[in-house]
Amino acid sequence: MAAQATLAREARQQRSAGNARARRFVDRLATGMLWAAALFVVALLATFIVYMFYLGAGTISWHFLTGLPSELTAGGGVGPEIFNSFYILILTLIFTVPIALAAGIFLQEYARTGPFREAVQFSAESLATVPSIVMGLFGLLVFVQTLRWGFSALAGAVTLTLLNLPALTRVTQEALSGVPATYREASMALGGTKWQTIVRGVLPSAIGPMTTGIVLISGRIFGETAALIYTAGTSVAHGSGAYDWNPFHTAETLAVHLWYTHSEALIPDVDRIGNGSALVLLIMVLIFNVAARVIGRQLTIRFTGKS
Amino acid sequence: MAVHIERADLLDKMKIEDMNVYYGAFQAIKHGSLNVPENKVMALIGPSGCGKSTFLRALNRMHDLTPGARVTGKITLDGMDIYADDVDPVTVRHRIGMVFQRPNPFPKSIFENVVYGPKIHGETNQKKLQEICERSLRSAALWDEVKDRLNRSALDLSGGQQQRLCIARVLAVEPEVILMDEPASALDPIATSKIEDLIGELKREYTVVIVTHSMQQAARISDFTTFFLLGELIEVGTTSEIFTRPKDKRTEDYITGRYG
Amino acid sequence: MIAVKASKAHRTESIALAVLRSASGFFIVSIALLIGYLAVEGTKLFTVDHKSVFEFLFSPSFAPDQGHVGALPFILGSLFVTGFAIAVGGPFGVAVGVFFAELAPKRVASAMKPAIEVLVGIPSVVYGWLGLTLLVPLIRNATGSTGFGLLAAGIVLSLMILPTVVSLTEDAVKVVPDSLREGSLALGATRWETIWRVLLPAASSGIGVAIILGIARAIGETLAIQLVLGNAPVLPTGLLSPASALTSEIVMDMGGAAQNSLLQHTLFSMAFLLLLIAMGLIVLVKLVTRKAT
Repeated sequence: MAAQATLAREARQQRSAGNARARRFVDRLATGMLWAAALFVVALLATFIVYMFYLGAGTISWHFLTGLPSELTAGGGVGPEIFNSFYILILTLIFTVPIALAAGIFLQEYARTGPFREAVQFSAESLATVPSIVMGLFGLLVFVQTLRWGFSALAGAVTLTLLNLPALTRVTQEALSGVPATYREASMALGGTKWQTIVRGVLPSAIGPMTTGIVLISGRIFGETAALIYTAGTSVAHGSGAYDWNPFHTAETLAVHLWYTHSEALIPDVDRIGNGSALVLLIMVLIFNVAARVIGRQLTIRFTGKS
Repeated sequence: MAVHIERADLLDKMKIEDMNVYYGAFQAIKHGSLNVPENKVMALIGPSGCGKSTFLRALNRMHDLTPGARVTGKITLDGMDIYADDVDPVTVRHRIGMVFQRPNPFPKSIFENVVYGPKIHGETNQKKLQEICERSLRSAALWDEVKDRLNRSALDLSGGQQQRLCIARVLAVEPEVILMDEPASALDPIATSKIEDLIGELKREYTVVIVTHSMQQAARISDFTTFFLLGELIEVGTTSEIFTRPKDKRTEDYITGRYG
Repeated sequence: MIAVKASKAHRTESIALAVLRSASGFFIVSIALLIGYLAVEGTKLFTVDHKSVFEFLFSPSFAPDQGHVGALPFILGSLFVTGFAIAVGGPFGVAVGVFFAELAPKRVASAMKPAIEVLVGIPSVVYGWLGLTLLVPLIRNATGSTGFGLLAAGIVLSLMILPTVVSLTEDAVKVVPDSLREGSLALGATRWETIWRVLLPAASSGIGVAIILGIARAIGETLAIQLVLGNAPVLPTGLLSPASALTSEIVMDMGGAAQNSLLQHTLFSMAFLLLLIAMGLIVLVKLVTRKAT
C-alpha cells in the first residue's frame, strides 16, 4: 500500500518536474517581455527628446523667442505667443486656484457624504471627462458670442478654468487628506472652530503637495490647444501692441501657434517655426515637472519644519 | 546550537543543518539544526519575534521572495538539498506546502481555489480535477459544508471555513510536508478545535511542522516540540518531555510562564 | 468675554462655509450649463434644419453645402482610431503597469517613473507634431502611401493614453493584498503564473477602469490626431488612406463655418455627440466599480 502510494507520487513528481521546465521558461519569457515593454517606453521618450533638441536647437535664438510672428514671409518669431501662453496661464490660475481650494476644502473637510456632495463629485468627474474641443466650443458659445467678449484671453482663461478645476480640486483633496488626523484633533481639543483648525492647522501642511499639483497642472495649461483655438483665437494684435495686457484682445498661445502654422498658415518656413516651438514647449514641460517637485519639497520644509 | 532527536525508529523527513537566516545585516536565525521526523507533528514554540516563522519559511524557500534575505546551511528533504543550485523552488513548494496565519483564499470560487495547484502543475482533465477537489475537501473536513456550493465565491465562507479551504488547497497538490504558521490564531475556539482535529488526522499521511504561540495547543496536538529563543533553537524533544522535564533552564522558564 | 470671542469665530466659520459651499456648487452649475448649451446648439440640426437623426448618425455622405449631413465617416473614424489605440496601448499599458507594480526594483522604478510623468506632460499638439515630422514620413517610406491616415493617428493615440493606463493599472495591482501572492507562490506557482492567474483577475475592475479612462482620453483627443489623419471627410477605407474623426473635423472646419449655417449646426451636433459619449463612459466606470464592491 505504502509502496504503491510512493510509486504514484514519484510518477506525479516526474510529470511535474517535466512541465516545471516549461513553466520556468514561460516565467522567464514573460518577465523579459515586461522588462522590454517598460524599457521600450523609456527609450521612445529619450528618442523624442533627443530628436526635438536636434531639430529645434538651431531655431532657438533671442529673436525667435521675442520677435513678432510674420504672416507671409519667413523669419518670424514667437515672442507674443510665448507671452500669451504665460498670460493665459496666470489668468487661469487666478480663477482656478481659489475655486479649487474652496471646493477641495469643502469636499474633504466638511461634506463627506450626502446628496450635495454626490452631485458635486459627479459634476466634477463629468467636467473632467469632457473633451477639450467640446469645452472650447462651449467657451465659444457662452463667452465669445453670448457674452460678447470676442476671441479673447479672458474667454480662453475661463474656459481653461472649467477644464482644470476638477484636477486641481482633486489635488487639494489629496493634499488635505495627507495631513494626519492628529493635527485636526489637537486643534479642536484646544477649542478651535473647524474653520480655524483648517486654516491654521491643516492648510500649512498641505501647501507643499498643493503647490506641486498647481505647478504640474500649470504645465498642462501651458500646452493646452484645442480649448483655446476658438476662445483665445489664432492671432495676435499687430505691431508692438502684440505684447498686450488687455484681456479682451485675441491671444494666440505658443501651442495654438504650433497647430495653426501647420494647418492654415502660409509662411514658407513652417518646419523651422514648428521645430522651435515644439522644443520650447517641451523645455517648458520639463521645467514645470522639475520645478513642481523642487518647490513642493521646499515649501513643505518651510511650513512644517520637516523633510 | 545543534539539537537532535535520538530515536532510531524514526525516519527523518527533513534535516536542517546549521541554518542561518539574515535580513540584510540582521541575523534572524543563528546556527539552527533540527531533524523533522516523518509522519509526525513537530511544534515550534517560543516567545514572539524569536524566529519561529522565519525558520519555517526557510523550509519552503519563501525567503527567496524577500529582497535582502539570505539563507545558509544545508536543508534537505528525503536527503535532497532543497537549496541546491539545480533545484527549482517551484518543485520544492510543490512537495512542501504552507498554510498561513490568516486565511488567504483567492477571490475565486471554492472549486477554483482548490484546483489552483493541480491546474498549474499540469492537470487539465475536468473529471480528475473534480475528484481531486472532492478528495481534498474531504480530507480538510470541509466537503459536507460546501459540496453544494463549489461554484460560489470562497470569500463568502466564514473564517474557519476559509482556513480549512486553504488547507484543502494545499492538500490538493499532494505535498509530503505541510508547514503551518499559527493556522488557528485568527480563528474562534470552535474553528480552532476543528483545525486541531484535522491536524491530528493529517499526520497519518503527511509530515507537519506547526508554529504556535499557544503552549496548550502544542501540548494538545504535537508529537515533538522545539523551543526557540532569540533566533536560536534551544531544545527539542517529545512533547511530553519538553513540557514535564525540560532539560534547559530557559525552556523551563518559558514553559512555566516566566516570560511570554 | 469668551462668549463674544467665540461667536465671532463662529460667524467667520459660517461665512467661510457659505463661500465653500458656493464654490462647490459652481461645479454643478457649470456642468448643467455645459450640457444645456450644447444640447440646444447641438440639436438645432434637427429642430431648426429639420434633418433626421438617422441621417446624421448613419449616412456616409458629408457635404453640408449640398445639404448632406451624414457624420458616419467621422463617427467611424473616431471609433477606429480609438479602437486601435486601445488594442495597442491597452495591453502595452497594462504590461508596463504590471511591471512597475511587481517586477521593478525600487531604484529602477524611481528612475523610470519621471519618464512616465514627462510623457503625461507633453502637450497633445506636440504629440501631433511628432507624428507629423517623425511618424508620417516613416510610414510613407515603408508603405509608399501618403503616410497620413488611421495608422499614424492610432499609433500617436496609443502613446498618448499609455501613461493613463500604466498608472491606473499599477495602482490596481499594488492594492491586491500580499497574502494572495504568498498563497499562490506557496502552492508552487511561478511569479508569472501568480500575476496571470491571481493578481490580474483580482485587479480586473481597476484595470477595467484604466481601460475605460484610456478610451475616454482617446476619443476626446483632437490635436494629436488632426495633424496626422489626413482629414478626408470620407468613410475610412484602410489604415493608410486619409480619414477623419469627430474631434479633428470640428477643429478643422469650425473656423470657416458661417454663423447658423448647416455646417456649423452639424459640427455642434458632433460636439454634443462627443459629450454624450463622454458622460456614457463615466456611467460605465461607475457600473464597473460598483460591481467590484
